[in-house]
Amino acid sequence: MSDWYRDFANSGFGTTITKQLGLPRPAVLRRYEPGQPLLPGPAVIGSAGEGRLRKALTELLQAEGVHVQSPVTADGATDGEKPAAVILDATGLRTPADLASAHDFLAPAIKRLRATGRVLILADPPSQADSPAQAAARQALDGLVRSVAKELRAGSTANLIHVPEGAEGSLASPVRFFLSGRSAYVDGQVMSVTAAELPAEEDADKPLAGKVAVVTGAARGIGAAIATVMARDGAHVVAVDIPAAGDKLAEVANEIGGTALQLDITAEDAPQRLIEHLRERHGGVDVVVHNAGITRDKLLVNMDAARWNSVMAVNLQAQLDITQALLDADGVLRPGARVVCVSSQSGIAGNRGQTNYAASKAGVIGMVRAWAPQFAERGATINAVAPGFIVTDMTAKMPFGTREVGSRLNSLQQGGLPVDVAETIAWLSQPGSGGVNGQTVRVCGQSLLGA
Amino acid sequence: MAVTVLDEAPNLRALYAKAAVTAWGRGGDLPTDRLARKGVAVDPAHLAAYTRVCRLPLDDVLPATYPHMLAFPLQMALMSDRSFPLALPGLVHVRNRIDVVRPIGAGEPLDLEVWAERFAAHRSGATVDLCATVSAGGQEVWRSRSTYLARGATAPEGAPAADVEVSVGALDRVAATWRVPADAGRRYAKVSGDVNPIHLSGLTAKAFGFKRAIAHGMWVKARVLGALAGRLPDALSVDVAFRKPLFLPSTVTLSTAQADGGWDAAVRNASSGSEHVVGTIRPL
Amino acid sequence: MADTSKPATRKAAIVGGNRIPFARSNTAYAQASNQDMLTATLDGLVARFGLQGAQLGEVVAGAVLKHSRDFNLTRESVLGSRLSATTPAYDVQQACGTGLEAAILVANKIALEQIESGIAGGVDTTSDAPLAVGDDLRRVLISLSNAKTLQDRLKAVAKIRPGQLVPEIPRNAEPRTGLAMGDHAAITAEEWEIGREEQDELAVRSHQNMAAAYERGYFDDLVTPFLGLARDNNLRPDSSLEKLAKLKPVFGTGEGATMTAGNSTPLTDGASAVLLASDEWAAERGLPVLAHLVDAQTAAVDYVHGGEGLLMAPVYAMPVMLARNGLSLQDFDFYEIHEAFASTVLATMKAWEDAAFCKDKLGLDAPLGSIDRSKLNVHGSSLAAGHPFAATGGRIVAQLAKTLHEAGPGKRGLISICAAGGQGVVAILES
Repeated sequence: MSDWYRDFANSGFGTTITKQLGLPRPAVLRRYEPGQPLLPGPAVIGSAGEGRLRKALTELLQAEGVHVQSPVTADGATDGEKPAAVILDATGLRTPADLASAHDFLAPAIKRLRATGRVLILADPPSQADSPAQAAARQALDGLVRSVAKELRAGSTANLIHVPEGAEGSLASPVRFFLSGRSAYVDGQVMSVTAAELPAEEDADKPLAGKVAVVTGAARGIGAAIATVMARDGAHVVAVDIPAAGDKLAEVANEIGGTALQLDITAEDAPQRLIEHLRERHGGVDVVVHNAGITRDKLLVNMDAARWNSVMAVNLQAQLDITQALLDADGVLRPGARVVCVSSQSGIAGNRGQTNYAASKAGVIGMVRAWAPQFAERGATINAVAPGFIVTDMTAKMPFGTREVGSRLNSLQQGGLPVDVAETIAWLSQPGSGGVNGQTVRVCGQSLLGA
Repeated sequence: MAVTVLDEAPNLRALYAKAAVTAWGRGGDLPTDRLARKGVAVDPAHLAAYTRVCRLPLDDVLPATYPHMLAFPLQMALMSDRSFPLALPGLVHVRNRIDVVRPIGAGEPLDLEVWAERFAAHRSGATVDLCATVSAGGQEVWRSRSTYLARGATAPEGAPAADVEVSVGALDRVAATWRVPADAGRRYAKVSGDVNPIHLSGLTAKAFGFKRAIAHGMWVKARVLGALAGRLPDALSVDVAFRKPLFLPSTVTLSTAQADGGWDAAVRNASSGSEHVVGTIRPL
Repeated sequence: MADTSKPATRKAAIVGGNRIPFARSNTAYAQASNQDMLTATLDGLVARFGLQGAQLGEVVAGAVLKHSRDFNLTRESVLGSRLSATTPAYDVQQACGTGLEAAILVANKIALEQIESGIAGGVDTTSDAPLAVGDDLRRVLISLSNAKTLQDRLKAVAKIRPGQLVPEIPRNAEPRTGLAMGDHAAITAEEWEIGREEQDELAVRSHQNMAAAYERGYFDDLVTPFLGLARDNNLRPDSSLEKLAKLKPVFGTGEGATMTAGNSTPLTDGASAVLLASDEWAAERGLPVLAHLVDAQTAAVDYVHGGEGLLMAPVYAMPVMLARNGLSLQDFDFYEIHEAFASTVLATMKAWEDAAFCKDKLGLDAPLGSIDRSKLNVHGSSLAAGHPFAATGGRIVAQLAKTLHEAGPGKRGLISICAAGGQGVVAILES
């Protein structure tokens, strides 16, 4: 599933042609590989007002072996090493006037940002502002970061993390994620962290070492990529899919050294069978990824009950039933468990012909938000990931025009890969990601749809 | 009685030809002369080919029917000689009894002697017995008696009555079904040298009054022993009567039953049930 | 005084099984070889139990119909699988008893503490069956390949006759009797006066039981799809007495012919495998113990000259095994009697109920008695799934072990499998 256009546009001849025709030139994204340094170059950290995070951020990056430049160097010199990341600590914002300093820092730094760079802004949530002016200033960052994301070229991304007072300790994992290649296709997003108890340290190469992870719909496509990435990060993966896909499922399980569990998740006894399996074979579970999903597209007026019901059953009800059963089953869902639910861009933006699918995927977003407090009580999290246009077997079957347009309608001008979704899910599954809860992270390259 | 010792087995093809051209004008009494061979060694390749075509196990003990392979050419030489009173073409093998006195090793040098005796009267002609004895180390180890019927022939004055019947028990349980292919006669002829035209093809069989080629009786007998391999006494007497011709190709059944320490057996047509071969196997 | 009683041995645990769906001859697996199917089956088992790269004690499997290229079939399949290449393997063959016999072999080695784990399996294809050249042509070809000079070669080639070029297709016939297995079964059916309707009833129940089991997901952890097939394609969930009654008999002759394509197993392709281990080995890996293989017995009958039914050997094996274990035929919660033919199952049960037979032939004072039919082949058997000869044993062992496990601890199950050559294998499983 290579992106022929991206490859072409980045070839010698293709570069000339696309430049002359004014065509977009989708970049080759920086994707994570084990052993890779966090950033391919130095980072520059600035602040707007009296930020409280700068010191901790600097220490975090230095611990990762990243050289941290001062804003002055980034601003003044043109011959120094170009930064791979530009980080703004905006926790000092009090009024919109303070935003000028954000501009003063970002403009020259981003100008020098190298390809596949990262712009990351950290701020307090607008909802917790002391005054309307402070709320305005904090909210203004939304527009700023989303626009920066659209202006960035060459595979660079810009994202915003809301860090409420007291949640500073939860920052390391999201910061590492957004700076690393794991977030290659996450762009123009705003998310927030909360305070959480986190493990002192974890194996950077195998953050999921010793964990048991269930991945549904693991036989192919995004599910297979999730299983692969989870296994790469050290988890024992219980790969689940319908019995009819059992041969592909076995291949995936064997490839990653996991186990295959053939199970129709919509069956009445499916939650119980899954729980029994986990109890008997592994004594419990650390990570559950609700990835299984189906589409049965038709315009609403032509949609029969079967299409509606089957999509709802697989995409939403099964996630609800299995999660509830896991919560109810004594001791199966281990302390610090992570549940990640796959939603969809359609659930945010809607999609013609997908009323059933979009409804189910929107439902998932509501579900994780509602469940988050209960999960937090157990030191666990539940989050959703909403993929945008991801290049899979399914999209390969789309008509050429639809596929090409679909894959270009985002700031990175290309479709994402299953691995991009998988990396995001694996990140949310990490023990260190305990401060991310009830969120829906879009993996869409800042899609124009539902932005 | 004179015994002629031959240095090698006579050529059967030549004997058949000779018998055919000298078929007419025969008569008189049986010759008393005997033919013999001394120190005959079994050719292992021939033994292997024989066991294959008869579906017998191949080991270093001769199958009960194998010495017949050695004796038959000598008997043919006797029968094709002008002095033999009956014409060879038209002779029908109706009964064969073989006694194995003791198991014969495939490596033992064998002395053979054959003769004809018992010119007997039969309701539809006359019969004559071709006998053989095989010795090893001066002791008889094997003997056989093949009874041939010459239809329309007349036995000499005062000849005894022919004895061609073998009686067996009910034999109503089928142990095996054999599909006997059209080339079964040609295959056995190739190994045994018994190139009697009635076995070779439909055309040649018709020339001698049979509607189709017929299987060699001695081949059927050997196959019966093959089916019972491993369940036979060391020293035994196998006595079979050849009844209705087994036309080729055919599907036949083998029925067996234990009797008197040995076996009764019958080979019948699978659909009509008519009997081709019945026989008894008894410890000697 | 020294203890002279039999030394206690541990019982081998049945951890689980895997098979590919069984396919009627020349359908879904028409292009698949024994090795293809066995390897896929092993890989499915590996995936189910996370055995990637694992070195097991041994893998034992076999096929009834083998090509010469199937030399070292099981070892070759292991080498092609995800198991460690350091897992030894060997082939066995006991006709339709192959799969169960393989399980017994592995279980015995585990019981003797020679190995801690092993896989027993079986595979057969009737689609990709070996075509033999006739004996004559074969000999010519051998002499041709042995010929050293051109002249010798030409001589060898000159011996080839057109008639020899027709390949010999293997027939499902007993070598010693020339009768197809169905013909033998028909003789037995007639002897035991097994009626057409009871055979059809048994067949319908087999289909219905298996279809219901599939519907409730019972086979989810017993079967892994292969080549686009997710369920046994012989399975007819809509099978009915009315439909079966319309079929013409294919075995037996005349009025007494009762055996049809509906109440006989079709030629089938497929493979199965069972994972056996010591309890300790399973516990270390967090793997389940579905049941233990308690005991087994093999018997054979003289169907050629002895007047016995070809497929009646299990009848003889059973009382020997029951006596050794101090059990009666009724002491079981589930029975798996291989449905080579519906009439075989019925004749087997009838023989156990027959006082005269049990006395005269089995030497018993009283008949073994009857079996509660509601406990028989509760998730369907060979009439529904089909019968790839060597794969049937593994299917039954895994299926029964799971059934016992579901029913709870302390449940007992009985297996009875008839095999070509007048052989029979029976076994006891206990959860």
